[in-house]
Amino acid sequence: MWDTLSWLLFFFILIAIVVIVVYQLICFADLEFDYLNPYDSASRINNVIIPEFITQGVLCVLCLVTGHWMMFILSVPCLLYNMRLYARRQHLVDVTEIFNQLDVAKKQRLFKLGHLISLLFITLFWMIYNALEDDEM
Amino acid sequence: MGTENPNRANNLQGPSATPFAAPRANMPISSSHPMVGSQTSAFRPTSVPAMPNASPFSSPGPTAGSGTPGFRPMQPGRATPSYGPPTTGPPQRVPAPQFSSTSQPTPSQTSHVGQPILPPSMRPPPPSYVPSVPMGSPPQSLYNAPSSNNPPRSFVDSPYSASGPNIQPPPSSTRPTYPGYPGMQSNQVNPPPPPPPVYNQGGYAPSQPPMPAPFSSHQGGYGQVPPVAPSSGMYGGGSAPPTGVMSGLAEDFCSLSLGSAPGSFDGGLDAKALPRPLDGDVEPSSFAGMYPMNCDSRYLRLTTSAIPNSQSLVSRWQLPLGAVVCPLAETPEGEEVPVVNFATMGIVRCRRCRTYVNPYVTFTDGGRKWRCNICALLNDVQNDYFAHLDATGKRVDLDQHPELTKGSVEFVAPAEYMVRPPMPPLYFFMIDVSISAVKSGMLEVMAQTIKSCLDNLPGSPRTQIGFITFDSTIHFYNMKSSLTQPQMMVVSDLDDVFVPLPDDLLVNLSESRPVVEAFLDSLPSMFQDNVNVESAFGPALKAAFMVMSQLGGKLLIFQSTLPSLGVGRLKLRGDDLRVYGTDKEHTLRIPEDPFYKQMAADFTKFQVAVNIYAFSDKYTDIASLGTLAKYTGGQVYHYPSFHSTIHKDRLRHELARDLTRETAWEAVMRIRCGKGVRFTSYHGNFMLRSTDLIALPAVDCDKAYAMQFALEETLLTTQIVYFQVALLYTASCGERRIRVHTAAASVVTDLGEMYRQADTGAVVSLLSRLAIEKSLSYKLEDARNAVQLKIVKALKEYRKLYSVQHRVGGRMIYPESLKYLPLYGLSICKSTALRGGYADAQLDERCAAGFTMMALPVKKMLKLLYPSLLRVDEYLVKAPTVDDEFDRVCRRLPLAAESLDSRGIYILDDGFRIVVWFGRMLSPDLARNLVEEDSATDFARNQTRRTTSGRVLSTLKFS
Repeated sequence: MWDTLSWLLFFFILIAIVVIVVYQLICFADLEFDYLNPYDSASRINNVIIPEFITQGVLCVLCLVTGHWMMFILSVPCLLYNMRLYARRQHLVDVTEIFNQLDVAKKQRLFKLGHLISLLFITLFWMIYNALEDDEM
Repeated sequence: MGTENPNRANNLQGPSATPFAAPRANMPISSSHPMVGSQTSAFRPTSVPAMPNASPFSSPGPTAGSGTPGFRPMQPGRATPSYGPPTTGPPQRVPAPQFSSTSQPTPSQTSHVGQPILPPSMRPPPPSYVPSVPMGSPPQSLYNAPSSNNPPRSFVDSPYSASGPNIQPPPSSTRPTYPGYPGMQSNQVNPPPPPPPVYNQGGYAPSQPPMPAPFSSHQGGYGQVPPVAPSSGMYGGGSAPPTGVMSGLAEDFCSLSLGSAPGSFDGGLDAKALPRPLDGDVEPSSFAGMYPMNCDSRYLRLTTSAIPNSQSLVSRWQLPLGAVVCPLAETPEGEEVPVVNFATMGIVRCRRCRTYVNPYVTFTDGGRKWRCNICALLNDVQNDYFAHLDATGKRVDLDQHPELTKGSVEFVAPAEYMVRPPMPPLYFFMIDVSISAVKSGMLEVMAQTIKSCLDNLPGSPRTQIGFITFDSTIHFYNMKSSLTQPQMMVVSDLDDVFVPLPDDLLVNLSESRPVVEAFLDSLPSMFQDNVNVESAFGPALKAAFMVMSQLGGKLLIFQSTLPSLGVGRLKLRGDDLRVYGTDKEHTLRIPEDPFYKQMAADFTKFQVAVNIYAFSDKYTDIASLGTLAKYTGGQVYHYPSFHSTIHKDRLRHELARDLTRETAWEAVMRIRCGKGVRFTSYHGNFMLRSTDLIALPAVDCDKAYAMQFALEETLLTTQIVYFQVALLYTASCGERRIRVHTAAASVVTDLGEMYRQADTGAVVSLLSRLAIEKSLSYKLEDARNAVQLKIVKALKEYRKLYSVQHRVGGRMIYPESLKYLPLYGLSICKSTALRGGYADAQLDERCAAGFTMMALPVKKMLKLLYPSLLRVDEYLVKAPTVDDEFDRVCRRLPLAAESLDSRGIYILDDGFRIVVWFGRMLSPDLARNLVEEDSATDFARNQTRRTTSGRVLSTLKFS
């Protein structure tokens, strides 16, 4: 029972992170097509970056606490990457250079998105699996 | 290169490796080769004697020698320094290549010396070169032989010799006659425009001043740039005996052999052979030549005026593909950009791509429609703009429409191009008054200069002006016109800066003129006893931002210490030797505190341009401060260890120019180009507002912007690509205007054509910007290597075009249009921004130079990279006569150690400062007259630099 609940929790946290990353990608796309000026776009993106990192951290800690080792190992690379960016102070988008960083930043977020979505499917699978097992008992 | 046989490969190393690898060694610039001495003539006499047997060959030698393979061997014999025959060098040689080419077809290579065997083309080719091969010392003969040994003969053969009276038909014309090299013909058809000067020496007598002796002409070679024969280029220094025929090479490329010849004592190259841009920047004529309606090249320069038609061609053209735009370049008298006012009609633009109407649009349908040249859309002609077409399809009223005949026009922009009423010119000064600023005398010089410029500030009577001073507190000045003396208000709360007075900090100059003058008069004395060493730079910057954000304008910051208080304070991160060469090296060159980037972005948003004047003798972190200028379209002026007695004139000049030059306010710039081509990256001091819109709070004639483009499609189907630069700005007079520059360039399928139409100036400008940008995220070493690699790759690619046909052997070959590229490549690597490592330039100077170079227009950039060196003692000794004589007496000298004679006085001018070099053996009288003191004591005190061979007196003034 607890297992199912924790998987459910992971699932929603992952959904939250995916939403944040997609939001950033949308901001970049808007910027590229000139629907948004660099100032707005940079401040919107920068506003959600720290929440994203924190949520990611919370997810890892929860995995660890609930003893889901496999899940923890899968999500820890992303956390380390985030921490590295943060330590180098490269995590925020730079308004002045945003157009030069556009390609790299988009690619980086697409990779992240891919990673998150694969985690999401794994979570979904285990959640359903656990739910079915609970049922049988 | 790889394809060539081993033999050649070896030789090649020489060429490619030396020029580029050598940066540190200085080779090209100051060639260390002693031999030549200051005058070439010196060594010649000696060589002559050696020649006797050689002479027969020699006479032809000079000419022929270079071209034919056989000839090369001779080189070793050359005067020891004999580096490859100078490309620039002796005029005689120049012709040679052509010669050889012609002669080669004839089997008679073995023919003897001197005999003029006429190839079909009727040139008197001295086949004789060939024979020369065996000779040991022939090289010398090149120089001397013609004149000294058998003068008559040389005369006969003279086509080659510089003596030039006998005019040879231009090689190009003759060339076609040779059956031999059909393949070449196509390329050769249009020899690059620049070459003409070159030919002079060899072939075209007309342009060349008649030179009696080959020698003299030779020497002249130095003085006059053109001597470098583009076509002639082939000097075979290389030992490799290319057996191939050289014919047809002449117009295709220049070459230079750099390897040591077998038998010679030292390897290397003849410094004289190297092409040097002693005439300064030469704009390629093809740009305007092919499309006369193009805007002038001072506004827009393409790295090559031949646009490649396919991706594969782009990738083979190893140099950057792009443009350098200087939208407000200074125009000479009488060539001002015409202003067009469409009044109520509205500006005529393409409906779809928003291109402005320009000379390349075509009118159809009896004048009722026009086709956009960029997107090919048919637009309706408005009734007001309608005019009938004549028989040739041109509008009958063409002469009344400068926008349809000129590549550069200004449109008066109607209200829909304004987001707010046009702003007045606005100058705001933010002045550091801490102890170092007072002690160095900066405050006084600055206040005087500003005062003297008040009359000339653009935009009177709308001009606005304001001042803030700061040390550990911020001082505001109320300059209301009703006051007689400015009122000072001090704000000491640095954490929460506020503006004490909402109005009256910025005042109209013409109304408050007496108050402003009273302020400037009292400013130096007000703070003369200030002992405050702190600098609340960040808070003052915020205050200035609050004052200016209503209107925008220009913010001039005078800073002489490291910001130490409040937000934006900087650490003495200093120039750490240990960091150089590691991956962290670049962090020294980027801003430390994100505050500066954020402020810069905000300034741009509110149309404020920031110019930084930095004066400290200690580290002030220009890397951080300069960011403000970089993203606001400003400029950084750096005066290391400013002292008013030494740098007064320079500061005065630069500040006065900054204040009085014509400036465009609240501008945006966009460059459009035809379908299939897209601008991908922009380089310079500005901020991008959208993917292709450059925001420029203030622009002036000293700012240029570079951009690179790429092909969007794999194959371009159009024949011509059009570029249109549009700068929307507010003129100082308060009118909103759009300056439009239009240019066309043809699409080519041939790589050779791209090289032929390349523009060295634009390539160098773009390369240096890329290198400086690279140095912000990589090591200096990497940035320099990237430049070298690009140039090496480009030359290698070029070589591939011709090596197969011509077996050019151990020589380096290069297109005429890019003959100075290797030299400028070296200059880039040695520029203050990129040279060496820790010890070679102070970090602040390096960063300041980087910011400056990112903004410079092409011509100024080239001058900074390759300054002009003049010898002036002869001129000074002579009684002053006519003014224009100066130009005649003082020619630009190559920047080589051997151009410096210890008995002379030299002036080196790089556009930013002038260095006067007094030779060690300079006559004491002259020195005393000049400096009005005994030279020995005077120099001991004043010199700021010392070289091994002479003394350098420091910066005199900004030119």
